[in-house]
Amino acid sequence: MVELTSPFKLDYEDLDQDHQRLADIVNLIVAAIDADEGEKCEDLVNDFVKSAKGHFAREEALLTKAGFPNVARHHAHHQSLNTKMEHLVEFAKNAADNQLARDSLRKELVFFLMDDVITADMDFKTFFEEQADKGET
Amino acid sequence: MKGLHVIGVSHAYGDHQVLDGASLIAPAGELVCLLGSSGSGKTTLLRLAAGLEQLQQGQILINDEVVAEPGLHVPPEHRGIGLMFQDYALFPHMTIIDNVCFGLFELPKDTARRRAMEMLDQVGMTDHAASYPHMLSGGQQQRVALARALAPEPKLLLLDEPYSGLDTNLRGMIREETLSVLKASGVATVMVTHDPEEAMFMADRIKILGDNGRILQAGRPHDIYYHPEHEFVAKLFGLMNRFESVVVGGHVETPLGRLQAEGFEDGLKVEVLVRPEGVILESNGAGQSAAGAPLEVVSTHLLGHDNIVRVALTGDDVAAGERDIYVRIHHTFEPELSQRITGGIDPEYAFIFAIDEDGGILDAPDGRN
Repeated sequence: MVELTSPFKLDYEDLDQDHQRLADIVNLIVAAIDADEGEKCEDLVNDFVKSAKGHFAREEALLTKAGFPNVARHHAHHQSLNTKMEHLVEFAKNAADNQLARDSLRKELVFFLMDDVITADMDFKTFFEEQADKGET
Repeated sequence: MKGLHVIGVSHAYGDHQVLDGASLIAPAGELVCLLGSSGSGKTTLLRLAAGLEQLQQGQILINDEVVAEPGLHVPPEHRGIGLMFQDYALFPHMTIIDNVCFGLFELPKDTARRRAMEMLDQVGMTDHAASYPHMLSGGQQQRVALARALAPEPKLLLLDEPYSGLDTNLRGMIREETLSVLKASGVATVMVTHDPEEAMFMADRIKILGDNGRILQAGRPHDIYYHPEHEFVAKLFGLMNRFESVVVGGHVETPLGRLQAEGFEDGLKVEVLVRPEGVILESNGAGQSAAGAPLEVVSTHLLGHDNIVRVALTGDDVAAGERDIYVRIHHTFEPELSQRITGGIDPEYAFIFAIDEDGGILDAPDGRN
């Protein structure tokens, strides 16, 4: 069960909501795997990938508008996640009848969400805090 | 979520910045390897997680509890961690069972001894419970060190180059045993190593630390090997063949053939790195060449399962420094010296990175062909 406790909040509502939405989908996928309902994974993972891509686009637009200095680097990071998302989809396609695919999916989803998305986004937490102090966000 | 979270940690020794915004997670039951060269900050990151260094910037959580941030430092003994180092650090004046009991001081003596024996059983060392460390081999001492680290049921296990004191054969065996014990224990584990092969073998996720103290890439061993996002990461796994080229029409030409360069702008100068196993040698079996770039065999070296073959491009228009090519092939294929042969590239083992006019590395869109 992934729970986004306060250290993982950016205190920027739109992005925190995005993260929570992604965490909710991950929890649904993990619950489906635990309930031996691997056939549910494909649709859920497709939803997760769509939501993740939407989040990346919103985040980049927001960072650009706010003048975050490392937008290009963060964009490159998002681009680098495309292959990982393809792998998630591939695991999900096989999750219905393959235990190894289910195990890999569960493991990689948690790493993807917590390490590649949310922890990576902590890069600009300080920036948002400074902006808030200046009254700019 | 249970496990370790390191968020945006920066650390400096005087003017020397060793970590710059490094983050990682190690969920319970997973093993994360920190891989990097000497001085890349990987041991510092481990020491910060252990509480052996005061955190300067960032945040560290163990099982959702903040154990370190500026102004807060939970001491190592209250973090619920197990530590295992290269030198085993067994107490020489204590028997093996007493070494394992050492961290169980809060338990009644009988309970502690029972728990210690359970752990020694898990690592196959119960017969040596009454022995002293000097009576054991390096591999046996390592097993005891693992039993001692896991006996108090830590929330987090930190391993610092744990196998570097062992010879090659023993290392392979011990790390396989260790992995099995760790998976059974369900503990979150972070292991520091400079050995890419070891990281590939052990890790659920590898984090590559660059010389700038930043995490360069994180992913499954498969991601790191087949989709390196940085030249440094690609080169970690040994010898690479390197060609310089320019992107034209979404492709790059190399002496061994054309490759797709998706995501790179036309006119961009790039380097193409090809793993030795990504060079495909062909011959029609009669000493005559099949289609492909013409090559001549210069040397072959048997490495057990594989041969490393050095071949030379025979064309006149080959750039200096790109003539020699290294190829890894199955040991049963032994081309003869001076044999004429042809070669191509398997794109799965080829990686393209943008470079500047002087050949220096630039950022790449996604780092792979």
